[in-house]
Amino acid sequence: MIAGLLLSLLLSQTQHAPQFAGSQPLEPALEARAQALGKQLRCAVCQGLSISDSPASMARAQLDTVRALVTEGKTDQEIKDYFVARYGDWALLAPPAHGFNWVVWLGPLAMVLIGVAFIALMFKKGSPTAPVAETAPAPPADDTDDPYLKAVRAELKR
Amino acid sequence: MKRMWVTIAAAGLVGVLLLVLAKSFGTNPRAVPFMMAGQPAPAFVVKNLQNGQRVSMEDFKGRPLVINFWASWCGPCKTEHPYLEWGARQFGDQVQFIGVIFEDTEENAQRYLSQHGTSFPQMLDPLSRMAVDYGCSGVPETYFVDANGIIVDKHLGPIDPQALTAQVRNLLARGNPQAANTGGAK
Repeated sequence: MIAGLLLSLLLSQTQHAPQFAGSQPLEPALEARAQALGKQLRCAVCQGLSISDSPASMARAQLDTVRALVTEGKTDQEIKDYFVARYGDWALLAPPAHGFNWVVWLGPLAMVLIGVAFIALMFKKGSPTAPVAETAPAPPADDTDDPYLKAVRAELKR
Repeated sequence: MKRMWVTIAAAGLVGVLLLVLAKSFGTNPRAVPFMMAGQPAPAFVVKNLQNGQRVSMEDFKGRPLVINFWASWCGPCKTEHPYLEWGARQFGDQVQFIGVIFEDTEENAQRYLSQHGTSFPQMLDPLSRMAVDYGCSGVPETYFVDANGIIVDKHLGPIDPQALTAQVRNLLARGNPQAANTGGAK
């Protein structure tokens, strides 16, 4: 009960306001395109949610703009460019592969390759084909001169 | 030889990680970039809430603008409302203040303004196209547009009198350096 009241209070105070403005879906083909584009665009007030998936008022506003741009006949690339011009590459959930973003794209691949190389190296080092059995056993260390060992043996003989 | 390659690979890996840290450390990954600074303010056509008239950017040509995006359901907007009212009284003869209602109904906005009062025009932006055109990332947000129609800066969150005064003086300085010196609080 208290949790419900707190949640209601929270929702009324944050960006997750009830829907007031009249956003209407487009005809099915255009709406599908708007939603597909919305899945690729990041909601400005959410953490990693697309504008199609977010219930935030800002996401609703952005999706309405996508609908308007789709209706105006803009191409997918033009619509993405519109959002990038306003919010930067940040607006795209998949960062474009250029400049510093290459680290994001190639970093995981490089990590996998380094991991595979490391495992291969370890296997090669500990391979059973290595002539372990053929090597002569190391001769026992000459411990007759060790004064501590002598002392221990003398104690044991008592 | 093998040892050398392992060392080079490890050094390369550490180098890349350091590059990522150097690039990203100290920045807020949730901060939305503001790409509209220095860009021409997008044209808009909205409806004046008070008299129902159509209003466009052309109507304010040649005047510096303070554009505030707000909503009646937004708590921080209530906090900044008195400061915007104060700002409109102090600087309204030199700078045009405009309120833009974001993701809200006309009735709620009217009720809110009848309770809190308003001394500057309030616009309806039903599908929030103007807000997104300006790169708005939530409310409240206040944009500062100079007399040449260039977006100079924006203030995220509720604005206070100090920030408002500094931003307005900056706007006035861009249009008329002498006005900036006399355009402070009356």
